[in-house]
Amino acid sequence: MLEEIVKNYLVESKGKDPVLFDTPDLQVSALGLDSLDMVEMLFEIEDRCGFQLPDPMRYMQMSFADMLADIEAAIREHNNGELPELKL
Amino acid sequence: MSKVLITGMGAISPLGIGRQATFESSLEGRCAVTAAPPEISRWLPNLLVAPCACPDALLDARCAGLDRATRFALVAAQEAVEEAGLGAHPADARRIGVYVGIGFGGAQTVDALYTRFQENVAQGSRNPAIVHPLSVPRMMANSAAAMVSMKYGLHGPSHTYSVACASSAIAIGEAYRAIRGGYIDAAVVIGTEAMLTPGAMMAWNALRVMAKPDASDISRSCRPFSLNRSGFVLGEGAAAIVLESEARATARKQAALGELCGYGCSSDAEHLTAPSSAEQVVAMRQALDEAGLEPADIGYLNAHGTATDAGDVVETQSIRSVFGEAASRLPVSSTKSMHGHLIGASGILEFVISVMAMNQGALPPTATLDNPDPRCDLDFIPLTARRGCDVQAVMSNSFAFGGSNACLIARRVES
Repeated sequence: MLEEIVKNYLVESKGKDPVLFDTPDLQVSALGLDSLDMVEMLFEIEDRCGFQLPDPMRYMQMSFADMLADIEAAIREHNNGELPELKL
Repeated sequence: MSKVLITGMGAISPLGIGRQATFESSLEGRCAVTAAPPEISRWLPNLLVAPCACPDALLDARCAGLDRATRFALVAAQEAVEEAGLGAHPADARRIGVYVGIGFGGAQTVDALYTRFQENVAQGSRNPAIVHPLSVPRMMANSAAAMVSMKYGLHGPSHTYSVACASSAIAIGEAYRAIRGGYIDAAVVIGTEAMLTPGAMMAWNALRVMAKPDASDISRSCRPFSLNRSGFVLGEGAAAIVLESEARATARKQAALGELCGYGCSSDAEHLTAPSSAEQVVAMRQALDEAGLEPADIGYLNAHGTATDAGDVVETQSIRSVFGEAASRLPVSSTKSMHGHLIGASGILEFVISVMAMNQGALPPTATLDNPDPRCDLDFIPLTARRGCDVQAVMSNSFAFGGSNACLIARRVES
């Protein structure tokens, strides 16, 4: 679910090639996002989960999968270990 | 000093998409005034607006999140830039500026942000403090200038003028001065406004300057220079022009739509909202002097003409003072009777209409003037357009809240 939200945003709003996400060990830095793109992307999650993810630029040093895992952990931390349905 | 030519024009207005559609509607006397949408009429049942078609179909889907005023600006600029054959990333990009006028920058974004905040507070289910991270770059007043300079790769100055109702007339005038002074060789000038939102409209309503609905025909509720006027109607949209030095336009054999030849500006320094004749007269005289024209040379004047008692009467006095004997032969109209008051976009929209009127010899009417105010005793082209006129030069007035006055003059260029 989390992965779909982020991927859809990057493909539909930022024009990223969907094939990019088939890359094994895809790095966030390979997505060609600047800091404004990054906060815009994270807003897609924040708008649904209701809190601001800290230090967005740290994701630039992560793989795409690690970024998603980190975001999921942050959401669970705010929801007593649960991953709520992320709907608008 | 270089002559300044108009090489492209565009508009997206309550009267239509594109400058031709806008001008044709104005000649037909079609009024775009209507009742406010439910989110506004719920609170203000008599409020009127002059809405513009949604710009989104004419833009890249990625523009959807931009402030509505910025989207209007991009559409108008596109038409003007295409007509001028300017093209993106020109070789002399550093010599081309972007000049924008807007009264209430980011109104739609700000209103939406507060609405969302209030709704989330009321519902209690979402964190109201989470708002879109691009809210600031979308609501900043220079958002349109930024987007246009980026889209066309223009590296000259990108300036935004916020001078209420005179914003885009001032933007045109300042771009003209920059070209004449040799600081730049061309400019894309835009006026845009989009504030038909609940918050903004409540603020306007509080000023007691809004027109009341006409009982027989709501579209004819804005009545400049009429005895039964009741105030103005806010509109939205944008218009754009490309200005170029004669040398640049000639070098690339670009046809001109007219010469911008006079600009005057002054400040009343008297009252926040009430106009004063003395400085309006100064602005008009400055423009005539700069153009080297006599009052009798002006064949059409697009008045500021907002349909407020004070504004209409004072402007009539000012025109009489400047034009003297020639005032009785001068055709004047307020096209706000049809497209409403576009605030930051009104100066440039009315300038575009004026230049088209000059070139086609067809003068748009004050479409709702069936009961003239005897204190407003000029030839206000009542009700129907006048065709077959020989117009060599036109004047367009913009007089703003805050006491800022601007006057522009264009003259014909023989092809």
